[in-house]
Amino acid sequence: MFIKRSFLLYLLFNLKFVFSQSPVVKAHDSIKTSELDEIIISATRTKRKLISLPLPASVISRKEINSINSVRLNSIIEEQTGLITVPDYGGVEGIQIQGLDSQYSLILIDGFPLIGRSAGTLDLSRVTVGNIKQIEIVKGPSSSLYGNEALAGTVNIITEEPKNGFNFYTRANYRIGAFNSNDLSSNLNFKNNKLGFNVFLNRFSNDGYDLDKNDNLNTVDPYKNYTLNTKLSYNFFENLKFNISTRFFHQDQRIKLDENIFGNNEIKEFNIHSRIEFKINKKWNNEFEFYITNYNVDEFLSDNIYNNLSSRDFDQKFTRPELRSTYKIDSKNYITAGFGIQMERLKRSDFYKNPKFNSSYFYTQYEYNPNKKASTIFGLRFDDHNEYSSQLSPKIASRTKINKNITIKGSIGYGFKTPDFRQLYFDFTNTTVGYTVLGYNAVAALIPQLESNGELLDILVPLSSFDSELNPESSIGYNFGIDLKLNTKIKINLNLFRNEIDNLIDTRVIARKINGQNVFSYYNVKEIYTQGIEFNSSYEIENINLSLGYQLLYAKDKGAEKAFKNGEVFTRLTPTTPLFVLSEKDYFGLFNRSRHVFNFKIFYTIPKWNLDTNFRVVYRSKFGLYDSNGNGYLDTYDEFVNGYSILDFAINKIFLDSFRIGLGLDNILDFKDSANLSNIAGRISYCSINYNF
Amino acid sequence: MTRSIFFYATQSLIIGMVFFSCSKDDSEDLCPEGEFQSVINLHAPVTGGQGEPSSGNFTKFNFSSGQITESETQWDIGLRGTTIIVNGGESSGIVDEPTRNGNAAAYIENNTFWCVQNVNLNLFSQDSVSSLSIPTGSENGWYSYTGSPNHLILPIPGRILIFRTHDSQYVKVEILSYYFDIPTNPDSMLDQSRYYSFNYSYLPN
Repeated sequence: MFIKRSFLLYLLFNLKFVFSQSPVVKAHDSIKTSELDEIIISATRTKRKLISLPLPASVISRKEINSINSVRLNSIIEEQTGLITVPDYGGVEGIQIQGLDSQYSLILIDGFPLIGRSAGTLDLSRVTVGNIKQIEIVKGPSSSLYGNEALAGTVNIITEEPKNGFNFYTRANYRIGAFNSNDLSSNLNFKNNKLGFNVFLNRFSNDGYDLDKNDNLNTVDPYKNYTLNTKLSYNFFENLKFNISTRFFHQDQRIKLDENIFGNNEIKEFNIHSRIEFKINKKWNNEFEFYITNYNVDEFLSDNIYNNLSSRDFDQKFTRPELRSTYKIDSKNYITAGFGIQMERLKRSDFYKNPKFNSSYFYTQYEYNPNKKASTIFGLRFDDHNEYSSQLSPKIASRTKINKNITIKGSIGYGFKTPDFRQLYFDFTNTTVGYTVLGYNAVAALIPQLESNGELLDILVPLSSFDSELNPESSIGYNFGIDLKLNTKIKINLNLFRNEIDNLIDTRVIARKINGQNVFSYYNVKEIYTQGIEFNSSYEIENINLSLGYQLLYAKDKGAEKAFKNGEVFTRLTPTTPLFVLSEKDYFGLFNRSRHVFNFKIFYTIPKWNLDTNFRVVYRSKFGLYDSNGNGYLDTYDEFVNGYSILDFAINKIFLDSFRIGLGLDNILDFKDSANLSNIAGRISYCSINYNF
Repeated sequence: MTRSIFFYATQSLIIGMVFFSCSKDDSEDLCPEGEFQSVINLHAPVTGGQGEPSSGNFTKFNFSSGQITESETQWDIGLRGTTIIVNGGESSGIVDEPTRNGNAAAYIENNTFWCVQNVNLNLFSQDSVSSLSIPTGSENGWYSYTGSPNHLILPIPGRILIFRTHDSQYVKVEILSYYFDIPTNPDSMLDQSRYYSFNYSYLPN
């Protein structure tokens, strides 16, 4: 087994390296950081204590990532209350926040967006957690700060900054289960008064897995990837600081469709992010940031005598300079303002042309903290886009501490998502079935072309209805929360949310083809809402930390609700039994939404043994993936995917002050559902070794 | 070749029992049941499709005889794959259409079979160059296509097809299944498709 051998070689290499250094006592991060000190940046774009924030937000700490031995972003995200990872086309895993699909959440690295959503979903497993300092999650619309895509929420991945002194760590994580996977990270860090740098390298490989042995296809084909992240910081003066961060990602995946067809999928990505921070005086701070990123995929398929059968490519580039200023009027009043421009372009197979989006934006935020007990934030952002009507995104959030045990907070915000490149410029014909999908802006040019080629039978939607532009999808999000401290040990947090989404984009048939298939395009049609309750509680005694999280969710289409109400929806139990009309309470809601999700976690530390252990359970109740009785809606008579639980266990011990060894079992019950949940691979056991110098 | 399949097609005609709802406990919107006919496994093959132009003869059906017919005039509806045409109007332009020489027409009502009790003459339309009176495509007409991974054609519950026959009678049709022998849980890999099973009943003029 190649991987096993390479893993041993790697260990040997590193052990050698270890002993060539003089051992230094390194404090492990087992000292619990108090929740009071948790700092969050994404919610206001200034460093702010999580506890003082008037918004529903949470922070996943390095400590939690370490204790569950998470290696990729998806595995840590899926254990958080109200965040559900769902598989999407092409084996990628996206994130559902407050019941909204993954395309409505913004994923940021150090405050700037990750790109590369070839079918709407950004694959979370692309991101290594090896050099993550913390993950910040803000729920509800944040377009007042971040503009496009920040509709359901934002996930901001904060990477490690150079830290004082010189240190080195290396970490190896080897997982065995339905597949073998191997994650190796090394980090070198240096910092003095002026100069700091950080070099992080990660290699991840996965042998892939096959949940359905009856077909010739793998559920996930084997792949390996590398992430190189470097950071350089230099303080010219006390008031002038410079920082540049680069991230390179490369992934290779061998694809095998059957005995005779194979191929390769290669992803290349880079992000360069530089920042100059200059303080004019104690009150006034400025930051100029320049961000450029490129996401590139090349895929080909060929037969076993190397005839090229198909190749696809996807090349997206995104550039954003931004200038941001914070001004502290006095201890009670802060103002933040920023402006920037954004340039985005995409070259892709099956596209009508190579589209470009340009936009400029301005945002401002005013924070008013009259006293320690109350705070209010007003935010406003204006986005001017070359393709769409400009967007004005306001937000207001407020928090009041009623007494030392009760705090209430509420917010209302606007979020939007502009149609993506695919929805505007797609020009795709399925070669085996024969249907065609056209982007909204491609219709006017391509339908006449199809017609003159004699491919169309008739046009169902007149071309004139594509004269006006496709509108951005927008939402208004309401959040109302209570933080309760029952005593020093028990904390409870409750958040009620509702998101109203307008102009949701769907596909419809616009023309019929002579081959009996249809031409589809996109249009604004639906109005949906998601609402529910999120509950989090924690109980802390000495070395034990228990937590319980729960989300109740109703995600529904308003049009569907109306159809049920009007008695227009029917079903029958079998094809030969009588039809009956369904009532409003029979409407379950949108596909792929679970009414209930639970998580329960126990973390237990034994300081005198340098040992920590934890046990976690995540439960997701039943959900529907498709309409099985033909009425077009998900109702209680449809087939559902059963609810399921994932149980995980981990134990970690520190040896000789520098070594940390972790053992664990993920998915102890070996839960699998190949037909509906291709992202769950079954039971995995792992060991991980961490060395800190 | 298609002809032999035609004759192979199992067909049966059942005169439905006459039921009347007598129990008051039944839900209020229960409509009185009456006489109906059932057609099982009417085969409507199609060649092509899957990226190629669909072709092949339509299976023609006559409601008053309850049989498939080869007649060029005495037919009411024609079925080929998921497409249903009526013997009325003009050619829609698809390949291998029979000549329409009757005055048949159709519309779709969203209701239960028994609660459709009258005909709304204003709703009838005939086939034309721009559209068929029973629209094609998932969720546009009588069926929905489930897509990946099951790839099933399912009749939309509550879509009642109302036809004017070539001899100016009115009939309501409820399609029950598109698969051979009406499987309770059809499987697109195992069950043979393009076998229509439906109930129909005459409506007063």
